[in-house]
Amino acid sequence: MLNIIRLRLGMLALVLIGVTLITFSISQVIPGDPARLIAGDKASDEVVANIREKMGLDKSIPVQYISYVSRLATGDFGTSLRTGRPVAQDLKIFFPATLELVICSLILATVIAVPLGVASAVYREGLIDHLARLLSLSGVSIPPFWVGLMGVILFYGRFDMLPGGGRIGTGLAPEQVTGFYLFDSLWAGDWAAFKSAGYHLILPVATLSFLNIGVVARQVRSSMLEVLSEDFIRTAKAFGLTRKQVIFNYALPNALIPSVTVLGLLLGDLLFGAVVTETVFAWPGMGKYVVESIGALDFPAIMGFTVVVAFAYVVINLLVDLTYLFLDPQIRMKG
Amino acid sequence: MIENIQPKRLAMAAFAAVFAMSCSASAEGTFVVGKAADPANLDPAITMSNYEWTVNFQAYERLIRPGVDGQVTTSELIGELASSWTTSDDGLTWTFEIAPGHFFSDGSEVTPAAIKFSFDRMLTIASGPSSFFDSIDTIEVVEPASVRITLKAPYPPFIAAMATVPSAIVSPAVMEHEVDGDMGQAWLAENTLGSGPYMLTEWDRGQQIVLEENPHYSGTSPFFDQIVFKIIPETASRRLQLEKGEIDLAEDLPLDVLEGLQSDEGVRVIETPSFGVTYLYVNNQRPPLDNPMVREALSYAIDTQSIVDNIYRGHGTRMRGPIPQGMWGYDPDAPQPEHSVEKAMALLREAGVAEGTELNFLYSTNDPNYELIALTVQANLAEVGLDVTLTNLVNATMREKVDTGDFDLAPGNWFPDITDPFMFYNYWFDSAKHGLAGNRSFYTNAEVDELIRLGLNSNSQADRERYYGEAQDILNVEFPYVYIVQKNDLIAVRDDINGLVLNPSVPYVYNFSDLSR
Repeated sequence: MLNIIRLRLGMLALVLIGVTLITFSISQVIPGDPARLIAGDKASDEVVANIREKMGLDKSIPVQYISYVSRLATGDFGTSLRTGRPVAQDLKIFFPATLELVICSLILATVIAVPLGVASAVYREGLIDHLARLLSLSGVSIPPFWVGLMGVILFYGRFDMLPGGGRIGTGLAPEQVTGFYLFDSLWAGDWAAFKSAGYHLILPVATLSFLNIGVVARQVRSSMLEVLSEDFIRTAKAFGLTRKQVIFNYALPNALIPSVTVLGLLLGDLLFGAVVTETVFAWPGMGKYVVESIGALDFPAIMGFTVVVAFAYVVINLLVDLTYLFLDPQIRMKG
Repeated sequence: MIENIQPKRLAMAAFAAVFAMSCSASAEGTFVVGKAADPANLDPAITMSNYEWTVNFQAYERLIRPGVDGQVTTSELIGELASSWTTSDDGLTWTFEIAPGHFFSDGSEVTPAAIKFSFDRMLTIASGPSSFFDSIDTIEVVEPASVRITLKAPYPPFIAAMATVPSAIVSPAVMEHEVDGDMGQAWLAENTLGSGPYMLTEWDRGQQIVLEENPHYSGTSPFFDQIVFKIIPETASRRLQLEKGEIDLAEDLPLDVLEGLQSDEGVRVIETPSFGVTYLYVNNQRPPLDNPMVREALSYAIDTQSIVDNIYRGHGTRMRGPIPQGMWGYDPDAPQPEHSVEKAMALLREAGVAEGTELNFLYSTNDPNYELIALTVQANLAEVGLDVTLTNLVNATMREKVDTGDFDLAPGNWFPDITDPFMFYNYWFDSAKHGLAGNRSFYTNAEVDELIRLGLNSNSQADRERYYGEAQDILNVEFPYVYIVQKNDLIAVRDDINGLVLNPSVPYVYNFSDLSR
């Protein structure tokens, strides 16, 4: 098991080097002069040249890359060209916001999708199976911004039940510990802030997970069906175990292994799906930040985002692999 | 937690949410603005976009402010920090008498030394805003209470430029926040330290910006002691929150939404003419567009009236020449070609342009109208036998291509910032400003260069009008751009808000301190 972790951490370093190299190269190929963007449309050429020099943009590309990576190694993400703020400072605010949204959506999707998948497998071609199929189809085919907007128009505009956007009520933001408002407000013992953060999460989380519940449920269903047709299930039934025991003690753990992989990949999807959701719900997360940064060709910010997301992705997949160890003794032995 | 919400709990949650919201609805002394994105920076020596000026305009005073007539500012200039000013006969020396009793938000007084510091700082940082002031030679404090600014050459718009955000007076105390010789740039990017009616107290990135009344402000205490900018990227949400009264002013709503809001109870749409224009860059260096006759043909072929009527839904007027109506220098005799396929065809034939000649049209979706304009232009030019390829690029890339002249046609917006025709003549036509700096058609004419430079640097208004008029006569037959529309400013506010004044030269800048409910 330690070997697996060690190997993965080694790979993480490689992935990060690859990611920075690719992002940096792409950012250099895209036409666009960040100095001109900062100077503004009406600025004279001298002013633009002056800014270019100050930002080190007049240096050669390999020099810029090496100076970027060596600073990154010391934890310095550089300074955003657009805002003039340290990128790390921005990431510290925006990344937890996205992560909170994504993790809550993942939890919601899992909690609904797994039982739904099991039920559709057990009652195959039954009403619940058809409903699950419908849900999955609509989740895949309805664009997320539409779902989000309908949510806002109905639950905020019409019924006034939920807030129309944002992350928390005005003046309630808790002191940053982890950047997760649910956690930070509990930590501070601020019940009002916790409640407000919770209400603000409902619509975006529902939107983001709605798109994925179906996918996960279909996946769980098909691996359940596969497992249910295995010999050992027949044997278990023959031994006279109850239906409940067969499904939950024997079939489900086996069916979950591929589902865990899907959930790991889903997290990646959710991170990117969050971009749209964040815009609709005025959620101050990475998605909006990176879109604005790309629009301004703000390389340090784009690179910072990429590195952090790549890092999170690799770590999450490491966690997924570790989950296998608990679900499947065979892998545990090999490890 | 959220994942196990029962119907009963949801109902409770709904109740609580409604309760919570009725408490959080805009308080009496708070004015809430719905803005689509955070400003990137708040340092007046750095910010060059009107969009960012919404926030930092409020925190500072300037030597001069524009006069007001009804709902719009005028070109009349009134002292703000300056109680009076004089200029020497040669127009090179400007002396501003500084009014006593103005204080920065840290309680220190606005002195002539502070004004000198502020201009020196802006010129030393030498970012975008300094390009309005490259004519400044020296700034001196004259005892007891004056500032004397000497120019290298006469620059009449200088005094109007004194009323814009780049001239905001920043307290010398920002130097206490200096890091690595940055003159407090890092600090001032996210803080304010000026003598304006408000000061920044809170900035939750991507969520909200809070301005509170500056306790040391010398003017009358504003009705709203707090201005909140809520960051709401989605248009539909901004509209909804305005309708529900959660915000008092919504920026950047599309015209059809604004028209819908006009009949809405509780919301008022204010519409005023502006000096903002939309026009087409025509690459004057690329054949066949290097031939004025071909450019004239484009002006006949492109149905600008239909663009104004259908895309801008009548919220604007067709341009006539480069200078917007209402600004001096506007030429009522400039040509305004009526849409005519025959005339365009005849001109193209005379110029020897073959049927099926290809042109590319670059645009971005930065302004949603660009795409509609692109489609109209493509259809109009197809009627006269020109084959237009549309290329949609991200804004940064499009700007790069415009900057380097790698295009045939491209749409653009222009707001003058400073209410003076030099913002058009000297930017759009000076061959020294090819590319994004202003001359985006890459128009080159030595005679025009000379005339517009004389127009900018002449000390008498009569001379300026004459030089610009002569330049205009040449431009009238050279058709460097296709002029489309002079747009109206439309802004949606709650109908109980009084006193909003818009600046036709500078969108997104509001007079919050004069508003009341």
